[in-house]
Amino acid sequence: MIVRALDKIGAKLLVMMDQAGDFALLSGRTFAAIPRSPFDTPNLMRQFLAVGVNSIPVVVLTSLAVSMVFAVQLSFGFKQFQAEGLASQVEGLAVVRELAPVITGLMMSGRVGSAMAAELGTMQVTEQIDALECLATDPIHYLFVPRLLAAAIMLPLLTGLSIYVGYWGGYGLLVGVEGQSSFVYQAEFFKLLGFRDLRIALTKGLVFGVIIALVGCWRGYRTQGGAEGVGNAPTSSVVTSSLWILIADFFLTKLLLV
Amino acid sequence: MNAQPVIDVVNLSKAFGPKVVLSNVNLQVREGESLVVLGGSGTGKTVLLRNIMGLLKPDAGHVAVEGKIIAQLDREELFKVRQKIGMCFQMAALFDSMSVEENVGFSLKRHTTMTRAEVADRVDECLGLVGLKGTNHLRPSELSGGMKRRVGFARAIALKPEILLFDEPTTGLDPVMTDVIGRVILDLKHELGVTTITITHDLKSAFEIADRIALLFRGECIACEAPADFRRNPNPVVQQFLKGDADGPFLQDPPPPKRAMSRALHPPPA
Ligand SMILES: Nc1ncnc2c1ncn2[C@@H]1O[C@H](COP(=O)(O)OP(=O)(O)OP(=O)(O)O)[C@@H](O)[C@H]1O
Ligand SMILES: [Mg+2]
Repeated sequence: MIVRALDKIGAKLLVMMDQAGDFALLSGRTFAAIPRSPFDTPNLMRQFLAVGVNSIPVVVLTSLAVSMVFAVQLSFGFKQFQAEGLASQVEGLAVVRELAPVITGLMMSGRVGSAMAAELGTMQVTEQIDALECLATDPIHYLFVPRLLAAAIMLPLLTGLSIYVGYWGGYGLLVGVEGQSSFVYQAEFFKLLGFRDLRIALTKGLVFGVIIALVGCWRGYRTQGGAEGVGNAPTSSVVTSSLWILIADFFLTKLLLV
Repeated sequence: MNAQPVIDVVNLSKAFGPKVVLSNVNLQVREGESLVVLGGSGTGKTVLLRNIMGLLKPDAGHVAVEGKIIAQLDREELFKVRQKIGMCFQMAALFDSMSVEENVGFSLKRHTTMTRAEVADRVDECLGLVGLKGTNHLRPSELSGGMKRRVGFARAIALKPEILLFDEPTTGLDPVMTDVIGRVILDLKHELGVTTITITHDLKSAFEIADRIALLFRGECIACEAPADFRRNPNPVVQQFLKGDADGPFLQDPPPPKRAMSRALHPPPA
């Protein structure tokens, strides 16, 4: 009984180690393949469009919603002890340091990472990846690299956009609804922030982008078993990358903030 | 004659779990030679080609292409070797997010310094060979099964590789188109001296294009000889395959009885 349970745990652990090793190996190969020729500009542009430009509406809407809800909570909370003025300061802190990067990362893992997993998964089960190999094209170089570059460049930009939208979301609520002075809001929003915070936010965006692209591509590339496999790839890619985004967020915050 | 075979399959064995697909297959293909591989459905013909391409790793034995053992190459070298090989997949495996033109021109764009116009010319030429002129801007999803297969064929020959591997290039094509593909393969062989391995179930084109014919049976290569000798091969399996008879040693399980026979065995109630 106990032996069997241990057996199962051991087997699970082995599988997990195996997967971690596989992921690390493929990630290494992806980074190594970045400078290799030929550089496929149209392909990269398509990914920029898919990852970056087409994600703008999602990022704008979610950032707006989250920043406004947060502002509501803050102004309500601070009203309890007559400190409404602090709401805009904390709003700035929260949006720039956490909300913008994490919300953008999570939304993008759902929008972009899952699409990558589904696309590569379909290519895998329909032998298109084998066909790439046979045409002497490294799938890592052809498929992974543009996606990685696009996500690594676009995620910080989208995080920046999210901060900008978050600023105006807070503005709309605190100034428009709660009736604070617009002049005060503009000054207070940045009061607790330094340039360092923007840098941290963008670094987080970069790291999240790398996580999203690598996990999405890896899950797709390792798809097995027809339609069911293709169905599982995006799901597990979203779960895995969301988890790693949250874990990475914790450590990045802890490390970069000291 | 060149001493070293271009493709050398030595004692190749491959199993998937408990299922042994290939056991101890030996095949040599010399430069400029055209080998046709025959065999029942599911005997491992595709697995053989995938081993030659390096898409699968052999369990035992090895495949050498131009003297280089495929399974021992690192990825860079492997891709170098693959540039010389064109492969035509059984299910075509076209890139479905690209047009026909982009599919056929894919390797030209990546591996040559040809200009756009030159690529377009070569693509038109290849599509012309397989009777698909004017389909340049269609998507794979807009093609019929046979058209896909022909686009896959065009994609495989676009780079003018020295070695061509065809996995059932004519299955699902009408007899006329089958003959056209056979002729294209022969032309490639005579004009460019390419070395080819063709898998087919079509005996007519097999005898037309083959310098040698190999028959895979239960994971082994039981015959590999010139077409004329192959026809006279006394092995009952070969003879049954050539005649296309259901009765004989070829099938593992006995075939269902013929109608006439079954009626004789179980006469209908009068
Ligand atoms: N990836 C795989 N995993 C497990 N078994 C496989 C795999 N690929 C092939 N097989 C098995 O290997 C055997 C040979 O398959 P293969 O595709 O080579 O047949 P084939 O000779 O090409 O047949 P056909 O003429 O129908 O195309 C089949 O029985 C199949 O079940
Ligand atoms: Mg096959």
